[in-house]
Amino acid sequence: MAPSNPNNAQSCALEALLEHPAIWSGRSAARVATLSTGYAELDAALPGGGWPAAGLIEILTARSGIGEMQLLLPLLVRAGRILPPRWSVWVAPPFEPYAPALVAAGVPLPQQLIIRTAQPLWALEQTLLCGGCALVLGWAGPRPAATALRRLQLAAQHAGAPAFLFRSLQEASHASAAELRITCEPLSVATADPDQQSARLQLLKSRGGRRTPFVVCWNHGAT
Amino acid sequence: MARRERVASTRRAFAPRRVVQALSQQGGAAVSLQWPATATLDLPFDTPAESWLALHCDSSDARALERLAILAHDYTPRVSHEESDAVLLEVRGSFRLFGGAHALCRQILERSLQLSLHISWALAPTPLAALALARARQNVIVASRERLVGLLSPLPVAVLRWPEATIERLESIGVRTLGALLRLPRAGFAQRFGQPALQMLDRLTGTVVDLRRPHRLRERFCVRGEPSFELQTDTVLLQHLTPLLAELERFLCLRQAGIEALQLRLRHHPPSADTRLTLRFAAAQWQADACRELLALQLSRKRLPAPVVAYELRSGAIRPRVTCSASLWRGNEQGAGVAAEVPALIERLRARLGDESVYGLCLVPEHRPERAWRIAEPHAPAKPGSVGATYNNTTRRPLWLLQQPRALPCALSQLQLLEGPERIETGWWDGGEVARDYYIACNRDGSRLWIYRERSAPHAWYWHGVFA
Repeated sequence: MAPSNPNNAQSCALEALLEHPAIWSGRSAARVATLSTGYAELDAALPGGGWPAAGLIEILTARSGIGEMQLLLPLLVRAGRILPPRWSVWVAPPFEPYAPALVAAGVPLPQQLIIRTAQPLWALEQTLLCGGCALVLGWAGPRPAATALRRLQLAAQHAGAPAFLFRSLQEASHASAAELRITCEPLSVATADPDQQSARLQLLKSRGGRRTPFVVCWNHGAT
Repeated sequence: MARRERVASTRRAFAPRRVVQALSQQGGAAVSLQWPATATLDLPFDTPAESWLALHCDSSDARALERLAILAHDYTPRVSHEESDAVLLEVRGSFRLFGGAHALCRQILERSLQLSLHISWALAPTPLAALALARARQNVIVASRERLVGLLSPLPVAVLRWPEATIERLESIGVRTLGALLRLPRAGFAQRFGQPALQMLDRLTGTVVDLRRPHRLRERFCVRGEPSFELQTDTVLLQHLTPLLAELERFLCLRQAGIEALQLRLRHHPPSADTRLTLRFAAAQWQADACRELLALQLSRKRLPAPVVAYELRSGAIRPRVTCSASLWRGNEQGAGVAAEVPALIERLRARLGDESVYGLCLVPEHRPERAWRIAEPHAPAKPGSVGATYNNTTRRPLWLLQQPRALPCALSQLQLLEGPERIETGWWDGGEVARDYYIACNRDGSRLWIYRERSAPHAWYWHGVFA
């Protein structure tokens, strides 16, 4: 059969070639267990349709307090409903997690454990190794060593729990052993509704997620 | 012969001045005024319910009484402390084991003499009667309730330890003995001296059951030791302490208990200030390995100023152990609980970071934002749905609160006010008065801030939270 379009013919040949079992393609990687993020746009972009159920996840922001916690609230709410109850651990948060806001969002307080420390990486690893936590949120100091991140990733895999590490956007170029790396930038508000807020996310590193930036919106009033 | 003499003399030493015996059930009017010849011929106690032994100690020394109470626990589980001068034992159930009432009383008295305490005693069917007889130094055994009132009658009213004013009022109406007191008309007595006094008389004679607060033993584990050589490093010290921790575990296992604190005190040579370490456990702990691990963490934080020549390991209060079944799953598997792992985690973190660095959260019903929450002791997480306080406030609150309100991060003109004002004006009654207008503002970089303006001059703006 004579191909009418040479481009089309080329792509057909490429696809046939890629069918070969010896060729491993990143997107066809083994499916990992995931936890829904609670945001349709984010679920669609992430490999497997949600946060990895085990492993280190880095969220990189220019500064803290621009909506990164909003991404995790649905997960915190669901982690609080796990039976038997397990802890959600906050290691070295930059400000005080405010109990009334957490309760208003539906996050159960008795499951929250706050750890204040100057050695967040040690505390994070200990928390993950203990294995009794539903999820761990950590704020590492500047420039955590690559080996430390590797240890955290292994510990999170061992624990079978997601560990979220919040880092500065300036460290986006540093190598990291994390399962998933996301940058989060707030979009300037030009909407009429003051409750609406949105952020532009991009997956810096993922096993088969979307490469292009995408926008996630949330409504403060709805939570 | 000589031996019998000695026995007789000891008997005389503790012989009750009078022994009152009830009629035996066989119907004979058996009366015995001396100690019976053999233990088997003991007094037939026909009072079915209780026999209380009161040990009255003259010196109102709390420590002496505590020692007496500890001794009493060897004979009966029902021991109670009376105010400040006596210990009461319910010994009815122990007669058979100790060979009868006389043998039991003699044994208890002999042992309390070894404590070099001057004691008067009495055995009676009700605790208050025994107490009154012991305070009057009667040293009697009253076997039946029928004879109780007759024996109590000659005692002075003062043995009841009523307030001075009450005793004086009784004397003014000519009542000096318990007998006279018991003969007073009930209704009139209750009207003049109050219902509690009447109830006390009822308990004295046994018409009303007397429930007493039990005395509980305060047990502690405490070992001191002086090793034969100086312990230079914390590794050697830890090796030396390991068998003691194993001993502690055995001690706690026997009692099905755990401890919440463990103190270690180290003395050094050359002399310097003693090193004191305190381990705190999130839940009742009994395992030697866990204690050892925490001890190692604490020791690694401290530097020993000099080699250790003596040590003392002392436990805190003993708590009942909360046991739960082991889980089928491992800790990190789906469905596994946190019963065992998380207290251990909290202990480990606290041992290294300090107690105040690990905490939980709880709500406080309060309008002032900084007081609407507080730190809570982290316990095992509660079941969902059992969240203690519910939060009904519909106004929006930021997820992050600043420890202290700060000056605005940028000029007010760069902030776009989205919502507000929400006025919070309260707290004038406890000195923490606030009068603020809260706004939600949007920063140029897209973050949402929770800011407020003081209502009082100079009307400064502050930054109090972040909607993350």
